[in-house]
Amino acid sequence: MSAVTTPVAALDAAVPQAPARPASATWRRFRREPLGIVPLALLVGLALVALLAPLLSAAPASYGPDVLVAPGSGHWFGTDSLGRDVLAEVVWGSRQSLLVAVAASAIAIAVGTAVAVVGAYVKRLDTLVNVVVDLVLALPVLPLMILVAALVGPSTTTIIAVVAAFSWPEVTRIVRSQALTVVGLPYVDAARLMTSSPWWIITRHVLPAVTPVVVVSVVVTASRAVLSAAGLAFLGLGDPNTWSWGRILYEAQQSGAMSSAWWLTLFPSLAIFLLVLSATLVSTAYNDARNPRARRSRTRRSTIGAGR
Amino acid sequence: MPVAWLVGRKLVRALLTLWFAVTVTFLLLRLLPGDPALALASPNMTAETRASILASYGLDKPLVVQYGLYLGQLVQGNLGTSFTQSIPVTQVLGARLPWTLLLTGASLVLTVVLGIPLGVLAASRRGGVLDRLVQVVGVTGQSVFVPSVAVLLLFAFGVRLGWLPIGGAYDTGVYGVAWYGDVARHLVLPALSLTLVQLGAYVLTVRSTLIDALGQDYTTLAQANGLSPRRVLWKHALRNALLPATTLIGLQLGFLVGGAVLTETVFAYPGVGRGIYEAVTQLDYAVLQGAFLLLAATVVVANMVTDVVYGLLDPRVSTR
Repeated sequence: MSAVTTPVAALDAAVPQAPARPASATWRRFRREPLGIVPLALLVGLALVALLAPLLSAAPASYGPDVLVAPGSGHWFGTDSLGRDVLAEVVWGSRQSLLVAVAASAIAIAVGTAVAVVGAYVKRLDTLVNVVVDLVLALPVLPLMILVAALVGPSTTTIIAVVAAFSWPEVTRIVRSQALTVVGLPYVDAARLMTSSPWWIITRHVLPAVTPVVVVSVVVTASRAVLSAAGLAFLGLGDPNTWSWGRILYEAQQSGAMSSAWWLTLFPSLAIFLLVLSATLVSTAYNDARNPRARRSRTRRSTIGAGR
Repeated sequence: MPVAWLVGRKLVRALLTLWFAVTVTFLLLRLLPGDPALALASPNMTAETRASILASYGLDKPLVVQYGLYLGQLVQGNLGTSFTQSIPVTQVLGARLPWTLLLTGASLVLTVVLGIPLGVLAASRRGGVLDRLVQVVGVTGQSVFVPSVAVLLLFAFGVRLGWLPIGGAYDTGVYGVAWYGDVARHLVLPALSLTLVQLGAYVLTVRSTLIDALGQDYTTLAQANGLSPRRVLWKHALRNALLPATTLIGLQLGFLVGGAVLTETVFAYPGVGRGIYEAVTQLDYAVLQGAFLLLAATVVVANMVTDVVYGLLDPRVSTR
């Protein structure tokens, strides 16, 4: 995060009160990247659709007169086998899908980061953390989520809890490697001379240093959460009282209309795809903007693990 | 000796992972809100059957004793009794496992067979049209929902074009050599769906590790020795790039199995995954628990085998 000497940054630095902060430099580079700003706008758009759903469309009725109508002027996204408007289902479904993504990834990020940072700082815990993370990541997580969701009974809370419970190890894996590097740096040793409180050192010195990695893993975790929740709903473990994108696909499959009425699959699939794709692109663009040197060798590894 | 040491270490690791899976399942079943008896025996069973099943798990005993009994039952290969079919879960799932292995195996082979050439082509013509295309497809491929791809393929090749069957694993009434052809035809669409979801990450990894390898000193040396560019690329650089790429496959086995559950559901493919879908509909907890443990064991064994094979192929791994 060295100071960047673009002309603008130099001007900023000339004003004593406003030194060029790395965050603003990152934003300036991010803004110029079309593959970053367009997906970001898409994400904001999807969030607005979810927030403003009641204004955009009436809540999906429980049945309707026109069954399996192809997309047209009356129903832009067509209707399903009970005559419900698919557009309304997708719009209202975005609320639950985004809620699960945000809530589950927030919990997973908080737990995963805490475990990673504490593990990295307290050496005796680190081996344990590493072993547990490796073990969870070696297991097929979806069947485990299915078992738990079926036992507890499907509801939005269950889905959030289940997805969060099995997503934090991935966050820990990503954050831990960065945290280990930071803990070994001289300034953390220096902080140990200043205070005896590990809490202070962890929150004031270690956490800020791993924040960029956490930001990237927020995106990865959130998009995984969307896919996991959709997978659970597709298998019939979604909240039966709330619309979600996965539930539209599940009902299409159950009614047997999936292979004939293409619009039943296409629109919820597109919604999931756009959400996950734009999240991935935003994280890649953010990483590039933060670390312009890594830009040319854009690799999978630099998306997940880079923090230098 | 180092080979025995390698195999032993991987075996210990595999057993540890299995023990972890079993313990997590046990704790989930006992500590989650809800009646644990409900997860072991169906209320619809006859009173005696239900009582004898519950007694074999010792639900009235302390948690530690229950844990011991649970481990004992599993070691004997007892995964419980299916609620709906009233036969051992091992029988229900045992008949389904080969289909899941066939599907995931075929998709892994396809991923490697398609992924390596695509990655090599992209890396050797960096910045070219094909490279850009591979990157775009790679990133988008990681963002799709498995059932979406599956339904798309089913709709295009099964319903519209009618080239391939839209579900199941084989037709009844086909025997002999024709049966193998029939199974292969039914396998194409499910395996392709699963492959398309896996391929993106694999190609991008092959590409980036190969680009790294092409920048190494030994590549320059090979070029300076006058070897043809093709030989340098395929014999020297690719060999070293393949190890990390193939390790990725091991890491993603868990996700592959999750994808198989969804794919089998779409295509009504008679594997463990479709069994899970049916067990969810019927709330057959014994089958759900058995399916998780069976799939976990499959992933662990597959991981162990690949780890050992890499160790034998790459001396750096076994000495580490």
